Amino acid sequence: MARRLSFTAAGVVVVIILVVAFVGLFMLRRPGTLEGQPTSIHLETVGAVASANEWPRPDDPHPDWVGYLPTTILRVPANATINVQIDQEDSATGLRNAFWGKVFGTEGNTMHMKYFDDKGNPQEGDITTIDPTQAAHTFAIPDLGVFVPLLGVSANAPAGSANIVTFSFKTKGPGIYHWQCFVPCGAKTIFGNGGPMQTLGYMAGELIVS
Amino acid sequence: VSTFRIEEADRPHIIRLVIIWVVLSAIAVIAELLFLQIPPGNQTVQGQDQTNTMLLMTALATPVFIGVVLMVIYSAIYFRRTGPELVDGPPMRGNTPVQVVWIAASTVIVLFLALVGISTLATNSSAQTVPGQPSSGTAGGAASEMQVQVIAQQWYFTYRYADYGGVETTHLYLPVDRPVVLHVTSLDIIHSFWAYQLGVKADANPGVDNVFHVTPQKLGSFQVRCAELCGIWHGQMSDSEGRVVSQSDFDTWIAQQQQDYAAIQKVVPSYAPYYFPVPLVKGS
Repeated sequence: MARRLSFTAAGVVVVIILVVAFVGLFMLRRPGTLEGQPTSIHLETVGAVASANEWPRPDDPHPDWVGYLPTTILRVPANATINVQIDQEDSATGLRNAFWGKVFGTEGNTMHMKYFDDKGNPQEGDITTIDPTQAAHTFAIPDLGVFVPLLGVSANAPAGSANIVTFSFKTKGPGIYHWQCFVPCGAKTIFGNGGPMQTLGYMAGELIVS
Repeated sequence: VSTFRIEEADRPHIIRLVIIWVVLSAIAVIAELLFLQIPPGNQTVQGQDQTNTMLLMTALATPVFIGVVLMVIYSAIYFRRTGPELVDGPPMRGNTPVQVVWIAASTVIVLFLALVGISTLATNSSAQTVPGQPSSGTAGGAASEMQVQVIAQQWYFTYRYADYGGVETTHLYLPVDRPVVLHVTSLDIIHSFWAYQLGVKADANPGVDNVFHVTPQKLGSFQVRCAELCGIWHGQMSDSEGRVVSQSDFDTWIAQQQQDYAAIQKVVPSYAPYYFPVPLVKGS
């Protein structure tokens, strides 16, 4: 009887340790924070995090997931103008809500973009709206009212090219503001809503304003 | 038929219990009516109905609650066994008059509350007119029902105003004293549109037009949030910039929205009662 009790107690302890370890490791698993010039952010969006031009993550547990690189945890100062550059390397998926094809919340409600048109010719200009069906991702911080659609790289663009998007926005007071993509870009998940769309370090991020 | 009589020794207890019960119930009910703040409040006609219904039910339930708790506490104090030996109490049998009274009283209370609840539900799910205003639309359309579509998507609510060219906006503005029909739907998965100050909590499902009626009656702000676990940013799917404004302020605001979003409005699909999750994604 005592032996059976001992086995049972040991089993319960082992299960508790495993559960705590699993939850603890899950909680601790978090992408790094982007450090550097505090008012400038440089990001890269890719169709697969293992094959990026600038910050590839070949050892990533999900090498074929879409993602923002090098990380989606960004630290910026409060009440400041933040300059953002996004090198957009992914092809188009299309917005589920065409409304997000408009740029708003940035300075001048515009973005500057160097891109390749349908014929693969390089173009450049200030953009306020893109074709919603040609969106690859969006950079959206809803609580700051910032919504920026990112045009997919043209199929006729040279291999390895990227659309270079730059814009500025103003932060509010200190806090943690979530940011996200509005394009259902989680390939191989139901309606594109899962996987990278639901995971920090890929298409979900935090803007830490301090 | 059983006989029922109160023992002479129990009479002081009965009188004392009844007095305490009446006094505590009166104090509690008056305090509730005067001070209790029950959501959702009075920002809309429907919210006012819900608050009044909840207040009525609370006020009716209070004497019952106090009676039960009082009986337990009183018995524990005055009829507690003090001696060491266990002795059976006097045998108790059913008492027909008492049973008839309590069943009849319970039936009346429950049926009354059911009627009040059904009436409130019916009021909340049908078109409303503003007190003091005609039910039909006026020349300025002040009393006509305004159609507003609530579109949920991971992880934000947007709104389309069918009566204003289907313009889509990022915040919900409503004119005061004008009945509104909210058409709640979703673009992707199941969400729930919850604007509690308006008295509205409606499931947002893709492919479904979920209809709710509200009539704002008080200027001010309200909060919108999602009440259905919908993914990593469910907790952030909220907006505190909902506003109930005057008709003139609303006209100014909606005109500004139409101007601001004119370019994107050209490529936004025509207004429809609901939408299905498109596009599918590459590789799915």
